[in-house]
Amino acid sequence: MSEMPAKLRRWSRVEYDQLIDIGIFLPGDKVELLGGQLCVSEPQNSPHAAAICLAEEALRQAFAGGWSIRVQLPIALDQESEPEPDLTVVSGGPRDYLADHPTRPVLVVEVADSSLALDREHKGSLYARARLREYWIVNLVERVVEVYREPGPDATAFFGWAYRSIERLHAEQSVAPLAAPTTRVAVADLLP
Amino acid sequence: MSESVVRTRRWSRVEYDDLIEKHVFRSDERLELLGGELVVREPHGDPHTLAVELVNEALGAAFGPEWRIRVQLPVALDEESEPEPDLSVAPGRARDRREPKPSRLALVVEIADSSLAFDRAHKGSLYARARVADYWIVNLVDRVLEVYRDPGPDAAAPFGCAYRVVRRLSAEESIVPLAAPTARIAVADLLP
Repeated sequence: MSEMPAKLRRWSRVEYDQLIDIGIFLPGDKVELLGGQLCVSEPQNSPHAAAICLAEEALRQAFAGGWSIRVQLPIALDQESEPEPDLTVVSGGPRDYLADHPTRPVLVVEVADSSLALDREHKGSLYARARLREYWIVNLVERVVEVYREPGPDATAFFGWAYRSIERLHAEQSVAPLAAPTTRVAVADLLP
Repeated sequence: MSESVVRTRRWSRVEYDDLIEKHVFRSDERLELLGGELVVREPHGDPHTLAVELVNEALGAAFGPEWRIRVQLPVALDEESEPEPDLSVAPGRARDRREPKPSRLALVVEIADSSLAFDRAHKGSLYARARVADYWIVNLVDRVLEVYRDPGPDAAAPFGCAYRVVRRLSAEESIVPLAAPTARIAVADLLP
């Protein structure tokens, strides 16, 4: 089917949370609110799941004490976005987010195979617009980790923002997270 | 950048009616469910509203009391579509209450100015897929009546179906509705 040339109804995050509360979505109805649109997430294959486990382990070691590593849980990104990134690193413990989802993770990681274009162009622009300082894509297609930093305005990007610094790191390289500058995460530890 | 990397969550008509019943939408919102997508209807200008009145009057005279002439009311078109055509004609009387939202439509009329391309390609394909036998567009841009008939499969159309017969009638011509073969409506009576 061709693209809908009409204006689609946009959802705010408040409305989206209301849809969840009144039980509109069925269990297994995997959706994320991205820039006002309810987007369907693709089912995960085993390399994707394995990469999430590896990243979780590596991030737990890098971010000791005072941080939480959350796996596929929602973040309150902006007024029209509530994505569920594969991994987010947030300050504090689980009870700090009892009333509301975290809004400002210090690091967001997506594991990408078939979703690579979506994670780069769409989510990348969305995270940049929300001024998230650091965004990684574990790129399973090319077996690299893409490190995105320095969000800034970019009229050609989907949501008007993009990351100005992009690094592609191979298996023999490592990366020091901005929020944990004294640690190093080996790219090899992130790749399945 | 293309929108194609994102798959939006599609709604069924049952879910859409559920959202309406649970007051998820604001009361001032004008929405239509078209092929699973929630589409926002643009506000109408004066020529548009005048044309609605004219068509309503003409159809009432042509069809008589055994038909329901409905103005901008929802129709149960298919499992993932609940449009609100400017006018729709269904058999029976409203008081019968057998079908609060009719699904068998003898005629659908849209009044088009800015929405012309959308009403032709997109809605036309949707109505053709639902086998609406007679679809008219009161084209305010060119001041003609476009009559679409003989719906059939068409792989190039947005919803896989299209009308195979298209006639453009100018003000001095007239039209006989398929479902009211003894009536004749002057196109001039439909144009503001």
